[in-house]
Amino acid sequence: MKMETYFLSNEDILKFYDRIVKDYQLYVPVKTKTPIKIACDYGFSLPTDDYILKEYSAVNKEEIVFNEYRPIEPVRTFFNQYKEEVGEYFAQETIEKDKKEKPVAISGIKNCDIFSLKIQDFVFLGKDDDIVDPFYKKRRQDALIISGDCPGFKEACFCRAFDINPYCEQGFDFNLSVLNNGYLVDVNSKKANLIAGSIRDLLTPATLGQLSGRSAKRDAVIRKLDEHLSHHKIPKKEVLQEIVKAGHNSQIWHEQMRTCVECGGCIFMCDTCHCFLLSDEISGNNSKRLRVWDGCLLKNFTRVAGGGNALKMRYMRLRNRYIKKFDFFIDNIGFQACCGCGRCIDVCPGRIDIRNILRRLYDEKYLPAS
Amino acid sequence: MMKNIYQPVEAVIENIIQETSAIKTFTLKPKTDFSFVTGQFIELTVPGLGEAPFTPSSDPGIKERMDVTIMKTGAVTSKLHEMQKGQVVGIRGPFGKGYPLHKFKGKDLLIVGGGVGLAPLRSLLFSLFSTIDNYNKVLLRYGSRTANDIVYKGSIGEWAKRDKFDIVTSVDIGDPSWQGNVGLVTTILKDMPIDLNNASAIVCGPPIMMKFVTLKLLDLGFKPKDIYLSMEKSMSCGLGKCGHCRLGKFYICKDGPVFTYEELKDIHDIWD
Repeated sequence: MKMETYFLSNEDILKFYDRIVKDYQLYVPVKTKTPIKIACDYGFSLPTDDYILKEYSAVNKEEIVFNEYRPIEPVRTFFNQYKEEVGEYFAQETIEKDKKEKPVAISGIKNCDIFSLKIQDFVFLGKDDDIVDPFYKKRRQDALIISGDCPGFKEACFCRAFDINPYCEQGFDFNLSVLNNGYLVDVNSKKANLIAGSIRDLLTPATLGQLSGRSAKRDAVIRKLDEHLSHHKIPKKEVLQEIVKAGHNSQIWHEQMRTCVECGGCIFMCDTCHCFLLSDEISGNNSKRLRVWDGCLLKNFTRVAGGGNALKMRYMRLRNRYIKKFDFFIDNIGFQACCGCGRCIDVCPGRIDIRNILRRLYDEKYLPAS
Repeated sequence: MMKNIYQPVEAVIENIIQETSAIKTFTLKPKTDFSFVTGQFIELTVPGLGEAPFTPSSDPGIKERMDVTIMKTGAVTSKLHEMQKGQVVGIRGPFGKGYPLHKFKGKDLLIVGGGVGLAPLRSLLFSLFSTIDNYNKVLLRYGSRTANDIVYKGSIGEWAKRDKFDIVTSVDIGDPSWQGNVGLVTTILKDMPIDLNNASAIVCGPPIMMKFVTLKLLDLGFKPKDIYLSMEKSMSCGLGKCGHCRLGKFYICKDGPVFTYEELKDIHDIWD
């Protein structure tokens, strides 16, 4: 179906949310202060606030904002929870209990998150029912994605390095772009259309002037972000696989891991990481199976019974993460498993910076040693 | 709701055979028939404790029960070794791709096993027995640490009597009762009546054994595409989602566990 675009005034955004909350468990962006601040070291004045997504019914309405950039938590948390029961055995009834969950609607998602969902979908969905994660699939297909343009960015943002734009053109149900005293609302799915139809009084068709105004704003953000990224000199996505392969024996992995405290922040905040472990527990007369997030920066990730561990050293684990993101995924789906959201940079207490590592790998391959 | 890919199927332990001091073969009877192709693996659940991956060691032609030969090494296997007949475990699978029997047609087959690595190979042997007309000959070269560590002791002699079969065993450390070869399994990979231009080698054992057997086979003149290796890592989901068993661009659980050396030779650290 053709995407329709409307204008929604500032006063009516809560009415829009109120309509959505009738059918969905709605999450909305709220500003929050975190101690994590990465200052820009070449003169740009960039925001350092953060946003979290809170349940609509649990926030004061005046707290709700339009987030300038992606929220703290990766979007996958809504579809693949950190720790989730995925089976109970061997009760008489081993069929899944029908979890009565209201589908989620998530406002505040940005294009980096939309890009990452392509990777999560590749992992957890499939053409064949035998390999579909039913829990992910149910939440994913029922969810309402309300994405938004990024009118700003923070220091750690680097989506454009990989040609991912700071605004969404696909992969959402609704998209909001801030414009003048309101929002342009793209309606991009059947379920969004149904909702839009029920609040037609709030929506006026976007004018050509408004659409070109949006384009101009988008271009301006891109220009500023590109200038920001020019200082970071991040390699283009076309060379990522090559430089990671070439850097297999690089000293970078050893050097970077000197400050790693093995907290797992990078893997758990990552928008594209997906690894988990099936872990069983006794539960009364029954046993239950949990799907718990896991990740390759943790030391027992590849440990086998008997003690063998293919990633026994820390540098191997860091390198493994880059091989997975920039070699494995490029081989298997044709693009890198990194959306440039910068969450791993923000969260790392050891200041390990993916942009820096990629740049160093590039330099080692292409710049002659001095 | 669609099928839950993480849910195990109930299976009763019907029989237990003590193969060696640390290895037992469990015969499992699943609640519903369970088919697998030789070389595929299953996830075996100890209720409440967790899962571990194993390749069944029985005849894939038998659907109503299966054998799994297990060495006591970690938490799940230790608990399994304490379990008794009649107790219940869980199984999920089968996972991955098995041995490509169709590619073995008309060939000389060299099967090299080490220790409990003979378990998956036993299921392969059963498959070969029932289709033996398809192959020229089958050589089995099996090494274990000591004579006491040999699995399927009673069966190896019987297999050796079969038409087209040629079996040699070796132990790393000999003892006065042992009449056969003493030395690593690579020491019995010589003077083999095999046509290298028309042979496939199938190797299963601990990583260090597979590494040196592969090097030896290459040295003998086997081509990388004719060497089949059973790889293993800490497979958890079995379906290419949990991420634990990545090897290069592959997941061992869904792209393997059987790979040719040709597929793996350019990947770093495959034996770790």
